[in-house]
Amino acid sequence: MQALLSFDRAPPIAAPLRFFLTAPLFGVLAGLLLLAAGPDALASRWTPAALAATHLITVGFMLQVMAGALMQILPVATGASLARPLPTARLVHGGLTVGAMTLAGAFLFGSPGGFVAAAVVLGATVALFLFATGGAVLGIPSTSPTIRGLKLALAGLAGALALGVALALTLGNGWSINLPALADLHAGWGLGAWAGILLVAISYVVVPMFQLTPPYPARQSWWLPPVIVGCLLLWSLAFALGSAEGTRLVQGCLAVAGMGFAVFTLRLQRQRRRARADATFRYWQVGLGCAIAALAMLLLAAIRPELTEWGGWTPLFGIVFGAGGFMSLIVGMLYKIVPFLTWLHLQNAGQGRVFAPNVNKILPDKPMMWQMRAHFTALVLLAAAVIWPGPLLALAGLAFAVANGWLAANLLSTVRLYRRHMAALAKPAGA
Amino acid sequence: MTHPKSSRVIDARYLEPPEPFVLTMEALDTLPAGEKLLLLLFREPHPLYKVLKQNGYAYETELVADGTFEILIWRP
Repeated sequence: MQALLSFDRAPPIAAPLRFFLTAPLFGVLAGLLLLAAGPDALASRWTPAALAATHLITVGFMLQVMAGALMQILPVATGASLARPLPTARLVHGGLTVGAMTLAGAFLFGSPGGFVAAAVVLGATVALFLFATGGAVLGIPSTSPTIRGLKLALAGLAGALALGVALALTLGNGWSINLPALADLHAGWGLGAWAGILLVAISYVVVPMFQLTPPYPARQSWWLPPVIVGCLLLWSLAFALGSAEGTRLVQGCLAVAGMGFAVFTLRLQRQRRRARADATFRYWQVGLGCAIAALAMLLLAAIRPELTEWGGWTPLFGIVFGAGGFMSLIVGMLYKIVPFLTWLHLQNAGQGRVFAPNVNKILPDKPMMWQMRAHFTALVLLAAAVIWPGPLLALAGLAFAVANGWLAANLLSTVRLYRRHMAALAKPAGA
Repeated sequence: MTHPKSSRVIDARYLEPPEPFVLTMEALDTLPAGEKLLLLLFREPHPLYKVLKQNGYAYETELVADGTFEILIWRP
């Protein structure tokens, strides 16, 4: 019965891999953009280069990996299966890739037509993704905090999408609206209710499983995702009422909830039973540390809003939260998921006659650790470049591009190994 | 290890996949008629559920306060 190992419900390896291999290329593009944009690019959150780079990372990198990973993990974490995983993956991957490029181009060149096109492409793509994943998971009872969390994360993505489309159409048609407050709300739904809850719900499963830690306690696990969505609903209400105080109060609550989760996860990691500190463990330590630092900035700004008058405040927050927090946690997870998937598919292709190489040999620790150091170096340079852009921003952009190119190379090496082994399996015995 | 729910317990809480699955399958192969097997895990094993259903087993899952899923398995 071992051979059954849930394989029949896993999508083909091509479904998630296309997302994972494309995402780092958007990281490379964001780095090159900062390299080329000149020292004023991060002078405020509203420069064309800052907005373009932000969306190359949030849509091109983060949403790309999260969509691919969710389609992969849905059957294992919830028991739901997607109706047609490969065609859905192809469409969502293509739409996200074209949509992220179009949106970044629209920001960079201030093109009204570009914003409308991006709204249409990303709107249709994410709606398709929500339809496929939401349709699969909605009928499943919420028997675990993870299932409830995944459902709420999809609702969060729907919120972020609706606000993003509204923002893009506003920019495309020159409508008059409170753009900064709406952009904040869009970021809140995207980073808090979608990316944040997804991360929380997946952590419930993968932190104990991959790092051999104690579990998250049941009661808090049930409550955290609905609390985050509740905060976002209150934030939306505050926006509708035009209440800046209400918005800051909710932002403060979100910051405290997020910090609580990150601190607790760090505590779990300290109790892990796996002695070795591999790249995933280090990436998670730094990712959680950065998330705590960024959420502390959010809390500080909620208490002392005048802090955000410095133009570099929000770019610094974005770098620490996005590149330092989410990207570190995502890459750390990719370094577990991609070798494991490769192993799983090779093992099943071998049908018990030919054994797949050991998971640790599929992507050795050394190249992961070096890529991780490159990512952390880029991170320090990016944060420093907000304060001293003149000498540092170009270098930081280059370092970020190199770190992401290295990630692509590491992931590609597992694909090459997969192809080599599959080719060997295809040869008739004795040939 | 014994447990109020069953004397046959697989504590797979600090084991890496696929070990919990393999141990459960081995234990079910030797489970005497009328007895129940209790699996302890830090996650809900949906892939295992499917195999259990395919092989005619029934199961009941409870998430307890510390975050452990207790999965009681038997042949009806």
